[in-house]
Amino acid sequence: MDAMPTSLLPPASAPVRSARGPLASPETLHPSLWLAHQFGRSADNALPSGFGLLDAQLPGGGWPRRVLSELLLPHPGIGEIRLLAASLAAVQRSGRLVMMFDPPAAVSAPALQELGLDVAQLLVVQTHLQVRPGADRLWALEQALKSGHVGAVVAWLPQRLRSERLRRLQLAAHAHDGPAFVLREMAAQGHASAAPLRLALHPAGADQLALRLLKRRGPPLLTPLHLALPPVLSAVALRRAQAWSEGLAEAPQPLRAATFINLA
Amino acid sequence: MLWVGLHLPWLSLESFAATLPPAQAGQPLALIDAHHIVSANACAQALGVMPGLKRATALSLAPHLVLGQADELRDAQALTSVAHAALAFTPAVSLAPPDGVLLEVQASLRYFGGLQPLVQQLRATLAPLSHQVHCVSAPTAQGAALLSRLHDGLHCADRPALQKALDAAPVWLLAAGGEHREALQGMGLRTLGELRRLPRAGLARRFGVALLQELDCALGDRPDPREPVSLPPAFHSQLELFARADTTEQLLYGAQVLLARLVAWLSAQHAFVRRFTLQMKHEPRWRHSTESPAVTVLEVALAEPSRDAAHMLALLRERLGALQLPAPTLELGLQSDDISHRPPPNTELFPTPQSEHAGLTRLIERLQARLGREQVQRLEAVADHRPERATAVHPAEPLWLRAREAAAHRHEDVCSAAPKRALTRPLWLLPQALPLQERHSRPVLDGQVLHVLAGPERIESGWWDNSLAERDYFIAQTIEGALVWLYRARLPLSAERDGWYLHGRFA
Repeated sequence: MDAMPTSLLPPASAPVRSARGPLASPETLHPSLWLAHQFGRSADNALPSGFGLLDAQLPGGGWPRRVLSELLLPHPGIGEIRLLAASLAAVQRSGRLVMMFDPPAAVSAPALQELGLDVAQLLVVQTHLQVRPGADRLWALEQALKSGHVGAVVAWLPQRLRSERLRRLQLAAHAHDGPAFVLREMAAQGHASAAPLRLALHPAGADQLALRLLKRRGPPLLTPLHLALPPVLSAVALRRAQAWSEGLAEAPQPLRAATFINLA
Repeated sequence: MLWVGLHLPWLSLESFAATLPPAQAGQPLALIDAHHIVSANACAQALGVMPGLKRATALSLAPHLVLGQADELRDAQALTSVAHAALAFTPAVSLAPPDGVLLEVQASLRYFGGLQPLVQQLRATLAPLSHQVHCVSAPTAQGAALLSRLHDGLHCADRPALQKALDAAPVWLLAAGGEHREALQGMGLRTLGELRRLPRAGLARRFGVALLQELDCALGDRPDPREPVSLPPAFHSQLELFARADTTEQLLYGAQVLLARLVAWLSAQHAFVRRFTLQMKHEPRWRHSTESPAVTVLEVALAEPSRDAAHMLALLRERLGALQLPAPTLELGLQSDDISHRPPPNTELFPTPQSEHAGLTRLIERLQARLGREQVQRLEAVADHRPERATAVHPAEPLWLRAREAAAHRHEDVCSAAPKRALTRPLWLLPQALPLQERHSRPVLDGQVLHVLAGPERIESGWWDNSLAERDYFIAQTIEGALVWLYRARLPLSAERDGWYLHGRFA
């Protein structure tokens, strides 16, 4: 996990402590100290994600502020915004702006409204078009993080990003009072990352999302979390999806013509 | 009356140094006029270059000496900027050419909390113009002007104190005294005090009345009306660069000087600039070319009126970085006449919505300067059933930011009132619907059969604007569990090919 706690121990005081015997609860000394089985703490209170199951596993009980939270996706469109929507809507309700950098496709305003987000409190920044020469793709993101005036940032990072670029962003995020989500491709899983929170997202059936916590300030979590996302499917369609996934091992049934004319 | 006299001992040299590229600023500099050195900086004086030397002598003493032509117009522009900056403190500012500015501050003392804080603020305001300033206060204008040439930080509270300070001053301080310097020296007159004790009639006969009049003005025995500086309605300042500027950095270094002058002009009238133009006069292609040299005009419009030189410089940097100039630049000019008068922003200890709003405006402005205006977008929901037209994308403007704050409150009510119901629209829309293969009359995406779960939802709209959409939308699931939005074009009316299309993904 993080090597930070040991390096933060004052070297001069360490022998004194050992002479007196081991300290009963060393985590009370400093907010950035914690034991291996505990969750890390931070001075800023976290932003609840809206999923109780996930909040219970995140240090501080929600998405951390002033640091990057890295989400790894196999491809866009697996429920990543439904996962973040509740916390982004909370940021907007507090009167602050949400910025999206390089979303993977055109953003649909009606869909945002259905998710409870306010399009008036959202800015989309396209950096990949490079209308003018010399525009650096991460420059805009870094500026937004550094300014400290943006409520929340959701950024889709370019592929094969060098780890020092991510570290730069992580340093810039110190000034950013709010969650900063960076979304990357799943292949980045094997590479080192400066983000203190890393999650891998997988679709797990209709309106379900499986989450693996790759890294957090706390003990490792081996089992993936299954979250029920805000539903797209009606109850009937959901039953149909479940029946399909159960019957997937058997021969898939051809689509009936009745499905088309059923307007109900 | 209380006058503050500002004297800029190195005005000509400093205004010349501003035209140099940054690398040359620390080198020995000297100004020449008619082949004689008129002024040399400390670095050059250490090498023995003194005012009065011939050009060839100076160059033999210091081969690396950077020689510039003395230019009264350049000095006058620099002095005018100092006067503009001083206008923020009192309306009664007058020039004392060639290198002095006088301020009548009696009426401003109470507002600034006394002379000491006023002088302190005055120095801080003048600092960006990068001039060395001597500052003296005295009850008379002429007295303050004379003493500022000798002292720095002297304060004469009343007439006796002024008289005492003047008595100790040398006679060459008076303009007429400098003229008759040798004669006065021959008479054994060194200080103004010695001069004052002589019979006036004899002095007037020998040296003319000008000498006595000057002395009387300084002591306050004679009225001394001064012409106050008036502010031009539009700002225009030019800077001829000493060396041609090839890079953005060199241009910015020159533009910094002009921006400092612009800020001085703005603060004199408590205004903020809305847009300004930077003109770059380029080198002609041939030395003896008769055609007028090319001029590049860069217009910078600010989203929020500002007088923060650092912010304007950052915007210029972004704009210049994206600009390709046809030739090296020889001369810079800055113009502005679009300003807005408004109360200055409050300074706050803790972040407030106002400061956040200002910060956001600046952030958006910087992003737009670098990326292009259309790259920072805001969205708007449009009442249209066709999904590709239900979202309008606009470039973000600062006005929108203000409207946003008002909308924030309304949004709160809407959100709390909205019932939880199933989502019907996907967040990610493909820019172009993707035709899908079919296998056993079922859609196939990436080689995997899609399972249609819900639908159809018929969208039939747009016959009036020539982009008729007649589609049946379905929600389908991929084999791994992600949800996608498909449609079938309805035949035979639709122009689209028959079959399945992928139009969006539920994120």
